[in-house]
Amino acid sequence: MLEIKNLAMAFETERGLVRAVNKVDLSVAEGEVMGIVGESGCGKSVTLLNILGLVPHPGKVLSGEIMFQGEDLLKKSKKEMRDIRGKDIAMIFQDPMTTLNPVFRIGEQIRESMRIHGLFKDVKGGFFKSARKHAEKDRAVELMEEVGIPSPETRYHNFPHEFSGGMQQRALIAIGLSCKPKLLLADEPTTALDVTIQAQILALMQKINQEHGAGIILVTHDLGVAAEFCHKIAVMYAGRIVEQGRTEQVMDNPHHPYTQGLLRSIPKMSSKKDRIEPIPGGVPDLAELKEECAFYPRCAKAHDKCLSQEVPMFDAGEGHTVRCYLYG
Amino acid sequence: MKSIKILERLLAAIPIMIGVAILVFLFVRLTPGDPVDLMMGSAGSVSQQEIQALQEEFDLDKPLHVQLYIFLKDVVRGDLGDSFTQREPVTDIIGRALPATIELAFGAAFFAVLFAIPIGVYSAVKQNSITDRLSMAFSFLGISMPAFWFGIILIIVFGVKLGWLPISGRLDYGFNFPSVTGLYLIDTVLARDWPALKNAVLHLILPSIALGMQLLAVLARVTRSSMLEVLRQDYVTLARAKGLREFIVIVKHALRNALIPTITVLGIQIGVLLGGNMIIETVFAWPGLGRLAVDSIFSRDFPLIQGVVMIYAFTYVIANLVVDVLYTYINPKITL
Repeated sequence: MLEIKNLAMAFETERGLVRAVNKVDLSVAEGEVMGIVGESGCGKSVTLLNILGLVPHPGKVLSGEIMFQGEDLLKKSKKEMRDIRGKDIAMIFQDPMTTLNPVFRIGEQIRESMRIHGLFKDVKGGFFKSARKHAEKDRAVELMEEVGIPSPETRYHNFPHEFSGGMQQRALIAIGLSCKPKLLLADEPTTALDVTIQAQILALMQKINQEHGAGIILVTHDLGVAAEFCHKIAVMYAGRIVEQGRTEQVMDNPHHPYTQGLLRSIPKMSSKKDRIEPIPGGVPDLAELKEECAFYPRCAKAHDKCLSQEVPMFDAGEGHTVRCYLYG
Repeated sequence: MKSIKILERLLAAIPIMIGVAILVFLFVRLTPGDPVDLMMGSAGSVSQQEIQALQEEFDLDKPLHVQLYIFLKDVVRGDLGDSFTQREPVTDIIGRALPATIELAFGAAFFAVLFAIPIGVYSAVKQNSITDRLSMAFSFLGISMPAFWFGIILIIVFGVKLGWLPISGRLDYGFNFPSVTGLYLIDTVLARDWPALKNAVLHLILPSIALGMQLLAVLARVTRSSMLEVLRQDYVTLARAKGLREFIVIVKHALRNALIPTITVLGIQIGVLLGGNMIIETVFAWPGLGRLAVDSIFSRDFPLIQGVVMIYAFTYVIANLVVDVLYTYINPKITL
């Protein structure tokens, strides 16, 4: 359904081009959940914004295609993109507290997407289109119920500050679902919430995936979340995808030294070790990236070849791909 | 619920107003200069008996605390005394001048808001563009330019050289319509006297621009900076991700939030416009409170000074209340 091919984008800054997304290939089939994991600033969220065409100034797409249902989103006009946003592709953001507009009632914010995409435009009658408004309201209340907001009839009239963080995220999911999107982009939807709420929200998204059949791209830096929830995982490092495959392939048999390092750095209750094992070094400066392997300075298995040229994606079998010479 | 809170706030204004009354009563009498002396002209032209008679008439012969008692007793009953110089009730005099000042203040505020918000929004959306830089340079000019000087320039250009607009007073002679509110824009509409309305509007234009220019500049800057802040918020990105047109994103989702600081500034400034326009009223011969204040101070007309100052204080209280009420509409997190 969605296929990103060779996508590269950069921010033009005074220090030169900052390559936030570099030659990314991704594909999501209908009803599939794709996880993108990586550290902060590795280009996960920007990749999502690219799909919607909402990369903030001074970001620029350098090359690539984003094929959605057979059409390249990068070639669409502004008007065509607006028709897709919120209708075919919806997005859920990281911080629910700042994502709902503080001056509008929750119900109105859920209703808005339906109105602009003309979900009930055939419903006629009443003064000031009241029949259509009622239809929209009924659907909004239904959605609020579905995402687990208690007493939705009353909550419909609340303002965002009257909701808790978890409830706000549920409301945002209701906004995302309002036009029955085919693809849901979730940008760390649980990061800002506490752990019990995280589990509830993830369960809700799983239900949505199963019941609505919506494809989901879940961006997260929580490997546990990704392992539990996703069918496929892509690991991103410094704007590139370094490893991609089915969840069990990536989690049970990580190939790339970075993925291995990430998995080693997760604290485990079962292990007797006192300390978790961090990956040495820090994330590279994206403005100074060259074509060579960006993980080279932090990699224990690095050798000269890694510096010589751009590392291609190697097939490690059964669709499991790795950007590392160890498997070439 | 809201109306009860508003009533509470109005009642809370009563002790404030009594405090203002006592202070202004004392300060007026502390200033050098004697009203009776000023009325009598040069020394020796009137007899001691005549001076004494006047002092008795104005209660100035009585001890200070007795005068204060008489004043406060009258104030509580809504009587601000009689003007020394004009020999009529202060409330009547102020009642004639206040509508002129209100009309001018709102004219200035209207002019300022009408231009400041679009300029501020546009500058923020096109940050660092030529338009942005130009409008911010102009707003800097607007803030630093003295209002009276700008008023005179307007008079010279639009009144004298071009002859497009009237330059003094509220209305030309020859119009006659019943005074209901004292606000000409409303009274002329009530009387369906359209030529008079047009004439009143024309008279209002230049003084409104002169008085509103600084406010325009300030509001444009405030709107721009708060808009820049708001445009970075997640809910603006969400609005775009919903598929809204950019215009709707900016005007509906961003501006509603960005207006909160603008309204704060506007509220404070409306008080300033009502109370601080003595110079503009003088330049444009506008028969409002500002000119009344200046005249009453020169003639040491104690009751009139007291009345004018109390009205100023009261308009501040009211302007603050109006802003607080407006807030509750624009920002749902705030209740009265």
